[in-house]
Amino acid sequence: MSRKAAMGGARQPVGGATTTTTTTSTISTEDMCPVCKTIRYLNKDMEFLINPECYHSMCSNCVNRLFNDGPNQCPYAGCNKTLRRKGFRSAFFGDLGVEREVDIRRRVAAVFNQGEDDFETTTDYNNYLQMVEDLTFDLVFGTDRKRQEAEATLQRWEAEHTAQIEQNRRQGREADEMARRRLRAEKDAARLRRIEAVREAEEEKRERALTREAELDSIAQAPEGQGSSRVQLKRRGLAAAAGVNSAAPVATAAATDVGKLSIRGLKEKKKAVVHEGPYDPFGGLDFTPSRYRLGPDLKHQRIEDLRATMRYNPGGFRFEDWTAQLMFEAFAGLGVFVEDEKEVGIGLEAGRVASIGAGIAAVGDRMELD
Amino acid sequence: MNENEKRKYIKGRKLGEGTYANVYLGQLRTDPAVLVAIKKMKVQREQDGIAYDAVRELKFLQELHHPNIVELLSVFNSKDQNLNLVLEYLPLGDLESLIRDTDRVRYGAADIKAWMGMLTRAVWFCHDNFVLHRDIKPNNLLIAADGEVKLADFGLARSFADPGVNMTHMVITRWYRPPELLFGCRSYSGAVDVWSVGLVFAELIIRTPFLPGNSEVDQINRICQAIGTPTEDNWPGVSSLRSYAVPAEVYPVPDKKAWMDRFGGVGAEGVDLLCKTLVLDPNKRITAREMLEHRWWRTDPKPTRKEDLPRSKDDGAKKMGADLGRRPGAVEDENRGSKVARRLDFGAK
Repeated sequence: MSRKAAMGGARQPVGGATTTTTTTSTISTEDMCPVCKTIRYLNKDMEFLINPECYHSMCSNCVNRLFNDGPNQCPYAGCNKTLRRKGFRSAFFGDLGVEREVDIRRRVAAVFNQGEDDFETTTDYNNYLQMVEDLTFDLVFGTDRKRQEAEATLQRWEAEHTAQIEQNRRQGREADEMARRRLRAEKDAARLRRIEAVREAEEEKRERALTREAELDSIAQAPEGQGSSRVQLKRRGLAAAAGVNSAAPVATAAATDVGKLSIRGLKEKKKAVVHEGPYDPFGGLDFTPSRYRLGPDLKHQRIEDLRATMRYNPGGFRFEDWTAQLMFEAFAGLGVFVEDEKEVGIGLEAGRVASIGAGIAAVGDRMELD
Repeated sequence: MNENEKRKYIKGRKLGEGTYANVYLGQLRTDPAVLVAIKKMKVQREQDGIAYDAVRELKFLQELHHPNIVELLSVFNSKDQNLNLVLEYLPLGDLESLIRDTDRVRYGAADIKAWMGMLTRAVWFCHDNFVLHRDIKPNNLLIAADGEVKLADFGLARSFADPGVNMTHMVITRWYRPPELLFGCRSYSGAVDVWSVGLVFAELIIRTPFLPGNSEVDQINRICQAIGTPTEDNWPGVSSLRSYAVPAEVYPVPDKKAWMDRFGGVGAEGVDLLCKTLVLDPNKRITAREMLEHRWWRTDPKPTRKEDLPRSKDDGAKKMGADLGRRPGAVEDENRGSKVARRLDFGAK
């Protein structure tokens, strides 16, 4: 019974086509072409193909017969889709409804391929996912009108964001490639470790055999009476040595493991994209005053007087610095609005506000430096 | 408000103790992963109230925000009326430990250029904001976790003086002190910092202090021998300075070739910049801005990226503790006796 239901599902009109056909025979659709009614019994190699235009399945013979001479109408009664030979392929899923949904999802995913990193907050990302899912649902199960709307949205988005989509796609490919490479490296490392362990074990075995042989030789050559006591002594020594030997490889193995340990599924930290332009000795700062220009010679009576008194200036006092400071201080308060600052200061302690204020006063309108 | 600031941080173990301050490791209460250094000023018996150094440091660090200047995060005072400065934590030690560790740390011209770039930017930033640092030396150049060099210790800083206003000449650690200060000049400019920068530059190249004078007289002698005797010819008006005294033997200013022989590692352009920073006459000395405009920055090799710079093999945290706890303006290699004898004359401001 359940088999029948599944078959019914497969035969259900999909893709919005209005065809309705019901199987009445006991021969399943998997065994009979609905177009030419050939059954598998007669044609062992029968293969069913579908076209993603309407997802109506038919056997490959029918496809060749109908579409080899160019585009033709779908042979299903009432389906007015024009199909081409090129569009036909064999379905991956037995249930053609699932096949269609997967196709649609694949298409939507190729267009809406933003990652979580592209969003400011998780909420934004979740909203985006919800939007995409709604759109997909409309495309798959929606009414005709809904489907058309969703289709339009999809196409508009695709047209508007071609560059971004392409970039995301490329990034995705790169990430895939990286993951594959990492996996391969991990596998290689594991293989090497295994080989190394086997080799070490063998070596150890051989060594043990060698020492044992040497041991026996020495006992055999030892003078009468001393042999037995040495056997015991040596045995103890051997055990201790073996203990040391076995401990050492473990320790080194652990040491190498520390370097190689990698946890799968760890979020890989995105390396900041470094745009290495030419070196900027000033570090991107510019202190040219924006509200006035410092001329080579600022004329003022007091400045002249002071200059005259400081004719001798071996210490390197710089008048330019002084005048620059005077000018700076004269202009320092401009462009600072106490009301705005008060607004900024909401929720901050007085000290922080004071230091912000001091910072503003110190750097004038170049607030972005810190 | 003080309590709030204080509660924001948890004081951890002591990183270092100096004559001037104790330095503790601290962390943010809300986010223990954020480490800070808490510099607790020692009570100064001989001075009333807060020490000058602390006031200076506070005043300027609060205003100067730059990637190459140590960041003051907060200030509070503890129960015993001690001032606590919360500074950003710089775990990789200072430039001095890198210079001294000749066995384990190796660096090249590109690294020197990167460090010098950061140092010069910091000094330029100070000067363009009308602040004299007055204690530039490798000890005071701390290194952040990402390799960025940060100028620290503003205990001797002051803003530019008005003409005719006297400043003290007893500033800057002796080895890095320019001749005009050694001659007792009281009206100077950013050129004093530039001289220190030049000596740090030289030290970076030869990996040993360039002019380690034992006393002020010895310091003058060393300057005369290495850079030439200041005379009226190469420095007009120098003999009018208060304590002008030079050795009887007059040394000539060395030519380019002598400089190249000793400092050739940074290339001809680098030596050119070094010469310009170590000009005797402060009026002719290059300014920090002009330094940054120099061709050296644009010639090969390109400065190393800060993440790739060599790192110290020592315990950087301890180093930071020692650096911040030291009295400003003191040479660290001296024995205790001379340290005690050397008192800074802050009264004559």
